[in-house]
Amino acid sequence: MISLAGRDIMHAWGKFVFTGMGLGLLIGVTLSMAGIYRGMVDDGKALLDNSGADLWVVQKDTLGPYAEPSSIYDDVWRAIRGIPGVARTANVTYLTMQVRQGERDVRTLVTGVTAGGAGTPGWPPYLVAGRQITRGHYEAVADIATHFKLGDRLQIRRNHYTVVGLTRRMVSSSGDPMIFIPLKDAQEAQFLKDNDAIRQQRRRTAENPAFNRPQVPGLLDSVIASQNTNQYVNAVLVQLAPGYQATEVADSIRRWKRLTVYTRNQMEEILIGKLIATSAKQIAMFLVILSIVSAAIVAFIIYTLTLGKIREIAVLKLIGTKNRTIAGLIMQQAIALGIIGFVVGKISATLLMAPIFPKHVLLEPLDSVIGLVAVILICILASLIAIRAALKVDPAEAIGG
Amino acid sequence: MAGKGIHIEGLKKRYGKGDTAVDALKGVNIQVAPGEVVGLVGPSGSGKSTLLKCLGAVIEPTSGRMVLGNDTIYNDGWKVRDLRALRRDKIGFVFQAPYLIPFLDVTDNVALLPMLAGVSNSEARKRALELLQSLDVEARAKAMPAQLSGGEQQRVAIARGLVNRPPVILADEPTAPLDSERALAVIRMLNDMARRFETAIIVVTHDEKIIPTFKRIYHIRDGVTYEEAGEGREIL
Amino acid sequence: MKRIPFQGRTLALLVVLLPLSALFIYVALRSGPLAPVPVTIAAVEDRSIAPALFGIGTVESRYTYKIGPTVAGRIKRLTVQVNESVVAGQILGEMDPVDLSNKIQAQAAAVQRAEAQLVESQARQVFAKSQAQRYNQLLEARSTSEEIVAGKKQEYLIAEANLKAARQEKIRLHAEGAALEAQLSNLNLVAPAAGLVTARNADPGTTVAAGQAVVELIDPENLWINVRFDQIHARGLAAELPAQIVLRTQAGVLTGRVLRTEPLADAVTEEMLAKVVFDLVPRPLPPIGELAEVTVALAPLPSGPAIPNAAIQRLGGKTGVWQIIDEHPHFTPVTLGTAGLEGYVQVTDGLKINDEIVVYSAKALTARSSLDVVEHIPGVAL
Repeated sequence: MISLAGRDIMHAWGKFVFTGMGLGLLIGVTLSMAGIYRGMVDDGKALLDNSGADLWVVQKDTLGPYAEPSSIYDDVWRAIRGIPGVARTANVTYLTMQVRQGERDVRTLVTGVTAGGAGTPGWPPYLVAGRQITRGHYEAVADIATHFKLGDRLQIRRNHYTVVGLTRRMVSSSGDPMIFIPLKDAQEAQFLKDNDAIRQQRRRTAENPAFNRPQVPGLLDSVIASQNTNQYVNAVLVQLAPGYQATEVADSIRRWKRLTVYTRNQMEEILIGKLIATSAKQIAMFLVILSIVSAAIVAFIIYTLTLGKIREIAVLKLIGTKNRTIAGLIMQQAIALGIIGFVVGKISATLLMAPIFPKHVLLEPLDSVIGLVAVILICILASLIAIRAALKVDPAEAIGG
Repeated sequence: MAGKGIHIEGLKKRYGKGDTAVDALKGVNIQVAPGEVVGLVGPSGSGKSTLLKCLGAVIEPTSGRMVLGNDTIYNDGWKVRDLRALRRDKIGFVFQAPYLIPFLDVTDNVALLPMLAGVSNSEARKRALELLQSLDVEARAKAMPAQLSGGEQQRVAIARGLVNRPPVILADEPTAPLDSERALAVIRMLNDMARRFETAIIVVTHDEKIIPTFKRIYHIRDGVTYEEAGEGREIL
Repeated sequence: MKRIPFQGRTLALLVVLLPLSALFIYVALRSGPLAPVPVTIAAVEDRSIAPALFGIGTVESRYTYKIGPTVAGRIKRLTVQVNESVVAGQILGEMDPVDLSNKIQAQAAAVQRAEAQLVESQARQVFAKSQAQRYNQLLEARSTSEEIVAGKKQEYLIAEANLKAARQEKIRLHAEGAALEAQLSNLNLVAPAAGLVTARNADPGTTVAAGQAVVELIDPENLWINVRFDQIHARGLAAELPAQIVLRTQAGVLTGRVLRTEPLADAVTEEMLAKVVFDLVPRPLPPIGELAEVTVALAPLPSGPAIPNAAIQRLGGKTGVWQIIDEHPHFTPVTLGTAGLEGYVQVTDGLKINDEIVVYSAKALTARSSLDVVEHIPGVAL
């Protein structure tokens, strides 16, 4: 027995392939949607992975440092360092801001990392070019998504930074690329206003007679100096010594230091469960809608293709073709269409859509397999309408009326 | 495969029930011997199509008897279970328009029937090629139907009707789209084939060009057939 | 001829489907977690690291003179403006004396009165002395009583004491007068050393408190930079080390040296402080308070295995690098030595020279990652 479906597809392959490509673009969008969701989750996980921390110590009763603002004194780490089970601690600051380079500015998550060497919590775990920060000030490691290049000079607040290294996939939970700068600079950047604001602040202080007393020379200067320091950081990243349980150490920090501590799992819960929950729901909605639209389109295409063959189907029935063969013809075509669509969709999602999409699109192989199964199922379901129409065709129609 | 041709006795068909019932066929008696080509002529509305559909086992008659070859297929009810297989194996169809499957080439259009009956692809194609040869279209064996002329298509259609060696072939206006010369060529071919394969052929037509070629003609009027001798003119 | 249409179609179909399936296979294998990770590799080099410390400081003057009145008063005049150079002893301004001259007059009168009193006391003393001598002779001649002689002797001693008091009073009033004179001359604000006026905090007519600076001077020849080094990055910081100084307002790199490291570190900011002086003070002078980036070069170390710091990773609490062994990544823990500012770190243990290690990778590696060795990580703009 020859494959009727195959012959039909071969006969009208142009139409078939182009229909499949159209469908493929739609499937590509659907795959990209799933990829965007995975990308959001991955962004969150990348943020946690890249921090290299086992525990996050933040301001009491906040969901910091990513989901809520948190600030703690920058010497809290000393107390935490002394708790059994803590191997390393590092202060860290996070500040989402526009970073300027010449005329251009980029939305970034500026991360202040404690001085130290590569491998310190908070530091970028791997680079794609350049080197890690070696100077205590005014050096930056930027993510390539910022489109900065090695040697570029950036402006963060009042200070200029030289890009010495580049990272990849170092992003905030909302997908903004990260820029790593030394902690002290970051603390300053977090606090420092623009020059006008500083002047205004100084003027206000100087006008306050309590601070500007002629009998006490130097008081005003001291007051202004004290206003211009920032002893806060957003979180302390903790790495555990081998053999200690994250929850136990977290409990003892909570108990003795009265700070809020999150473990890796809790942090994931916060980032994925709270921070991107709404976006994830939106995407899930889109996914459902796109699946329904895809199904409708497949059904429509297959139905149209079948209606175009109604006479042939009548003839086939008249000359004794089994219903099963005819149903097979239609279903095979639907599946073939789905497979072409899936292949085109996968290619277009990977090569066309993912690279140009402004957010990270993560196409997981497992998602693709699920997608393929879903596409085939949808095609089978969609072909049922056409099969029903085909089976209702009266073979008598082939015999002139 | 050839047997006793086709034998129809007192075939009746009533559409609907009660007051609105219409008797399309009121008493059809047809007998065609193997190797014989008969004409079936009637105005539209005479029950011609209904008769064809009954003969083609597409609709069920109300009463009567139909014998195909050696088998009684209908005797106040279907006597065979698988009408589809019946149509496939015992009845050849040749239509007014050739109705070839556009996505199969000429060979496979013909070979499809034996394939549907479970014959292997190569055997089916061999049979098809033989037939195409005898119908003088083997040169177009690999062509697609759309590439054939009307006459060639009709010959392929005839080959398809014959390929399973059915005891009867129903030809519905096979010459309608053709000019007189080709129409006669088709009838001559049908005659040749009927003789060669011992097949009974019923040609439904109202084509004046070919009516004189039949030796016997059944007229159908208001659902009743009347037999009449034809001119039996030789086709040159 | 007749077979061609079908073959043509098959051909066309292949032309479309083959690249499509090839693309699909490429996409399936080359993207996602199955794809090999692009990495760049480098051999461990034998190089000497020139370690250096980097700190940020502000330009300060070594000597700052704050000149103001010693008593509260009103400024009469100020002759210097900011940015003027002055020489040692130059009068910069003057305080208003107000009633000082009257006080000096009164003091002069008091001195004169004291002198008159002194003359009187002297006269009394001379008279009392002669009286005492005379009565003494009379006693020897037995012409007077012993009691009278004792009385004259006492008178003489009192006159002597009175004279001494008058003398001292005169000295006191003289000194007080001199003090007032001194104050009169101290109304001048005088530059204690040659320098540059950096601030003029008050203008004539302003009343200032004692000790409040009216004019501030710096010694422009003696500028230094107060540099802060992060404690983590300050190992080896010592006096006399050469330093390179980058000032924002000055083009190029200036040279200098560490003058001293401060005995007190900043406990709050966790920084060490050091003073760095210029070899040659730049002209024009850098503004005081300007930010300076200071790189202090330490003595170069003997050469040894060194790796780029980008290669250093942390895995399972250990610092190490991804070494390429039999074309597969293998995490090798290393002990790191001194790091240079240029991004190279010496390896004291764990790697040999010419070992191949992963420097850059497009994503985090695991021991099961398959590697795609490239020149540059794709997507990095150079």
